[in-house]
Amino acid sequence: MKALCWIGKSTVEVQTVDDPRILNPHDAIIKVTRTAICGSDLHLFNGFIPTMEEGDILGHEFMGIVEEVGKEVTNLKRGDRVVVPFTIACGRCGFCKKKIWSACDNTNPNAHLMEAAYGYSGSGLFGFSHMMGGYAGGQAQYVLSLSPILDH
Amino acid sequence: MSEPLNESPKAEELPTLGSAGVMLEGRYLPPPEDKDGKIWIRTSTRVEASADELYAIWRDVQSAPLWQEQITRVAKTGEATSHWVMQSGDKTIEWDSEVLADEPGHRIAWRSIDGESDNAGEVIFEVAPGGRGTMVTVLQEFRMGKLASAWETFVGRNPKQAVIENLRHFKAFAETGEIPRIQGQPHGGRGLIAGIKESMYSEKVPTPPALNRKAS
Repeated sequence: MKALCWIGKSTVEVQTVDDPRILNPHDAIIKVTRTAICGSDLHLFNGFIPTMEEGDILGHEFMGIVEEVGKEVTNLKRGDRVVVPFTIACGRCGFCKKKIWSACDNTNPNAHLMEAAYGYSGSGLFGFSHMMGGYAGGQAQYVLSLSPILDH
Repeated sequence: MSEPLNESPKAEELPTLGSAGVMLEGRYLPPPEDKDGKIWIRTSTRVEASADELYAIWRDVQSAPLWQEQITRVAKTGEATSHWVMQSGDKTIEWDSEVLADEPGHRIAWRSIDGESDNAGEVIFEVAPGGRGTMVTVLQEFRMGKLASAWETFVGRNPKQAVIENLRHFKAFAETGEIPRIQGQPHGGRGLIAGIKESMYSEKVPTPPALNRKAS
């Protein structure tokens, strides 16, 4: 698929990259229909955010159609139209239970990097440097999205 | 207003945060010092689950490879003993471990008895106030040379950081049944520097599989 990759300071390039695949049971693949550019993307673009590496896919404001869902996803099915928020939340940790999704404890695989910089890690974010998860963003044809486990 | 605010940013010695923090009386405890040739680590977290559930997951040593990094296999060899196999890059390390203290729902203490790793540790489960689940505190010591430790830090994961990360994986595993992962994600061409940085961020250490242990 094609995706917008950060190459270096103030340089981005559309590259052909691998398609995303389901990694965890609560994942979903979204076929992106529209994506926006945020003001904070400019910080990434201009290289002000440390831990941005060559080849990172940008984009955290996107929407699309669900293409494929993981085994444990119950609230989405193929064909649903979704808008995906910036933050990635697990739905089960102490913060998620209080609906403070951007402080989720369980979605940042590189939490140690964020702790070194900020003292405590926030949630994983789409397309926002390795410190904040290193997740591929939504300025691409397909995105791997994670759906929170919510007990209704 | 008695006195103008006198700001001096470096007025007090702040403990260097080398671990997920442990707090006592509202302040972070400094990380424990390495002494007597042993590397010491203490870390804690709050998990939204009951102490009994968490004790059961931790005590089930044979499922340790699901949530602990770089552990390939654990075989129970007796009531309180087990055999551990760890794979770090091309190197395989094996050792036997024995449980020294086993208090269901409260505490597990262990140490290695034989083999290529000299370590001991303890995990304590305490009920968190306010009905907020359980505070899990892990203490671990390794007898590992400075050179070996530096090498591990360079090629994979700093041993102290591995304990912190294992606790993070344990928390994610206990609360959601899965561990967040980015390995296998799409990305553009990584240059040489980006490849080196990936190793430095320990992104090349395989994330434990955490085969889903409970349905949503």
